[in-house]
Amino acid sequence: MNLSFMYDLLPMGNLAVVKLENVTQRFRVIHDRPDSVRELFSKVLRYRVSYHDLDAIKNVSFEVPQSQTLGLIGRNGSGKSTLLKIIAGVYRPTSGRVHVEGSIAPLIELGAGFHHELTGRENILLNGLLMGYSKKQMREREQSIIDFAEIGEFIDAPIKQYSSGMHTRLAFAVATEVNPQILILDEVLAVGDAAFQEKCFARIQDFRQAGKTIIFVSHAMPSVVRFCDRAILLEKGSIVADGDPTEVAEIYKSLLSPEMARLVQH
Amino acid sequence: MKISCRDVGPGRQFGSITLLELRVLTELVRETYRYRELIWALALKELKVRYKRSVLGFLWALLNPALMMLVMTVVFSTILRFGIPHFAIFLLSVLLPWTFFSQSLSYAVESIVGNGELIKKVSVPKLVFPVAAVVSNIINLLLSFIPLALLVVGMRHPFYKTWLFLPVPMLALIIFTLGMTFFFAAANVYYRDVAHVVQIVLSAWFYLTPIIYSLDFIPPNQRWLFKLNPIIYVLNGFRLSVYYGLLPKWPSIAASFVCAFMALFIGFGIFRKYQDEFVFYV
Repeated sequence: MNLSFMYDLLPMGNLAVVKLENVTQRFRVIHDRPDSVRELFSKVLRYRVSYHDLDAIKNVSFEVPQSQTLGLIGRNGSGKSTLLKIIAGVYRPTSGRVHVEGSIAPLIELGAGFHHELTGRENILLNGLLMGYSKKQMREREQSIIDFAEIGEFIDAPIKQYSSGMHTRLAFAVATEVNPQILILDEVLAVGDAAFQEKCFARIQDFRQAGKTIIFVSHAMPSVVRFCDRAILLEKGSIVADGDPTEVAEIYKSLLSPEMARLVQH
Repeated sequence: MKISCRDVGPGRQFGSITLLELRVLTELVRETYRYRELIWALALKELKVRYKRSVLGFLWALLNPALMMLVMTVVFSTILRFGIPHFAIFLLSVLLPWTFFSQSLSYAVESIVGNGELIKKVSVPKLVFPVAAVVSNIINLLLSFIPLALLVVGMRHPFYKTWLFLPVPMLALIIFTLGMTFFFAAANVYYRDVAHVVQIVLSAWFYLTPIIYSLDFIPPNQRWLFKLNPIIYVLNGFRLSVYYGLLPKWPSIAASFVCAFMALFIGFGIFRKYQDEFVFYV
């Protein structure tokens, strides 16, 4: 099994709750675009598949101590999402070790487990079960999830009828209300109206004050600077900067073209 | 509060396919038990989605076999006569378990690929998907025996005490089906042709299995060929209990469980070996 849970109490203190040692993730990119039927046949007959190997993450090591808020930044394709998936246990790394201590909401995109034919209430349960919580735990939290997400009577309607804002609010509420020790947030604050965004910020601040570990992926430098204790900049699968969010954000801007950097500043 | 610890090393965890090891089986039972709530929720979701937007909704799970039975009864009592009394019951006693098997397989073969978006985003044991697909069909199987019981009463066929034996062949059938679904669900991740092949295999298998006919119709010197078919032993248990009111002989029961566990060991052994790689291919 790719998850081995140990139901055991952890010693408290400033431990590394997420630890990566020389992690490499290699993908095989298969070029299977035969241009003609003839080419397809010759490929099948010779049993030859053309591909190249791509290291999405190259020999990355870092530790996240307990109660740290880490910002992961980098350009598109720099490996942020791959890294999150490794931490969340979706990918098993090609080499290296990953150590995660504490409950983690193993969701990368909010609302990944939602099914559009099910009602909001059914989705809360299903999503919670997917994250490894019990039915009883989810029933207890159901009302506060509904309240936080401001769904109202729509909770018993299939979520295909929801607006995208409602969808995101519900997903954020489920992911945070289950109270994980490690929270992974991937570009979630880009959606929702200003009022709900503030509510999300407030909740993240609560999480920080409660001493939880947060790994936060964003392209919005102001949020990274505002929330994070530390930032890691990824470029082509390697760590190029690690440290104070303000400084790392500056390095990130220098990677972008001048006009893009101006946009980021605003 | 759930506290967990995870330590993941590189690559494939299991070097070789461990087929005949009890460890594999205990792992399956343990994981299924741990994720029972999730499996149940996924199975209910599947049923709900299957019957979505139909006026009668979940009633179709009952109506489907009932209407099929009606058609069979009319066809085989008026048009095609095999000279077997109460042919509808003779047929349905094995057709219902066969339908469970073939439907589970057709649904479950897509269970990993169909949940690909989920597998790419959530870390969840992969076995929950084929198991949930089979569980949703178990609900259908159990429900389909209600109209069969009504038909037995309606046709004034004796209602034998051997109905009480049915849980035994049902258990063997479920184990056999699970094994097959694990194998085909895993194979379909790598070669999408498998989903199509399964449909053809199932229809050929249907005619090669004594379902609409009886093994007695086959010349005795050719019967050994049919006895190589792993599913006939378990189906035989259903027909004997419901139609003949007899209990299968113990070698037949043993054969049905041997086939079932062989399928499970091989199917789950292969599934387990490749499960960590599914995410890269779905």
